[in-house]
Amino acid sequence: MVFLTLSCWIRSRGPDRYWKVQEVLKHARHFRGRKNRCYSLAVRAVRRAFVYATKARRLKKRNMRTLWISRIAAATREHGMKYPALMHNLTKTSVQLNRRVICDLAVTEPRSFLSLAKLARARQQEGFRAALGDGKEPAGVFSRVVLLQ
Amino acid sequence: MTSRGTPSRFLQSVLQNGVGRYVCQLKRISIVFSRKAQSSLGVREFIEEGVVDYAKKNPATVVYVSPQSCRIPKIVAEYLNGNVREEIITSKTAPQISDLLTKLTDQSGLDVIRIRKPFHTDNPSIQGQWHPFTNRPPSIGPIRPQKQQEAE
Repeated sequence: MVFLTLSCWIRSRGPDRYWKVQEVLKHARHFRGRKNRCYSLAVRAVRRAFVYATKARRLKKRNMRTLWISRIAAATREHGMKYPALMHNLTKTSVQLNRRVICDLAVTEPRSFLSLAKLARARQQEGFRAALGDGKEPAGVFSRVVLLQ
Repeated sequence: MTSRGTPSRFLQSVLQNGVGRYVCQLKRISIVFSRKAQSSLGVREFIEEGVVDYAKKNPATVVYVSPQSCRIPKIVAEYLNGNVREEIITSKTAPQISDLLTKLTDQSGLDVIRIRKPFHTDNPSIQGQWHPFTNRPPSIGPIRPQKQQEAE
């Protein structure tokens, strides 16, 4: 008698399971707890991590901008002005520096930032004089708008 | 692909290459291809025409041509900092392979991973970096030698 059904019960599964599992686990190696070792826990954690990374690409831009704004505000308050006044007067004098550059100047180039703050304050004073004065005095130096063509 | 899960580096050049003399960072190129297979057709054409010109134009790079019986033709590029890059050139035409070679020649051997910032300075601050005492007036005046008024 030959037993034939025994060999029919052997199944050959897929040969690639190890590599498919490692593909997921390699993204989980720096996680805490069993999520960095056990596949079923790691799959969920890795998926969440990727979702957070996707969402964070938009948030990063917002967060960096708020960071720059708070740093510029702190720097201007050292010079006796406030952030909205600085930015408004800089745009009125057509200084087209964005917040990232002004923040870097405030950190690495404090004297240039002081000159920017003085420029903004001068423009602010000219604005006050123009608003509160009679209109007979000429507008100040910094109120002249240069149109570059 | 999280930023903490994948490696990243800062923008840098290898030993300030290019400030003085420019040194080509590509050390060695090995072209591995097969004599008869269909996939290495473009490679064989390139070796007939373009390889010698390339080797003459880049005297600092050593070119090895090794015909072997292999299924996939490859270019193995080794750089001066030890990194090895393998490019697969199955079914590529000769001009595509020469473009690939120029790309490999222009690269420095640094890893092709995420670069954190697209700029880098060794001297970020010229006027002196801000610290809490930069905009504060000094609390005591300048230090002078004491005048001894009592006559000796």
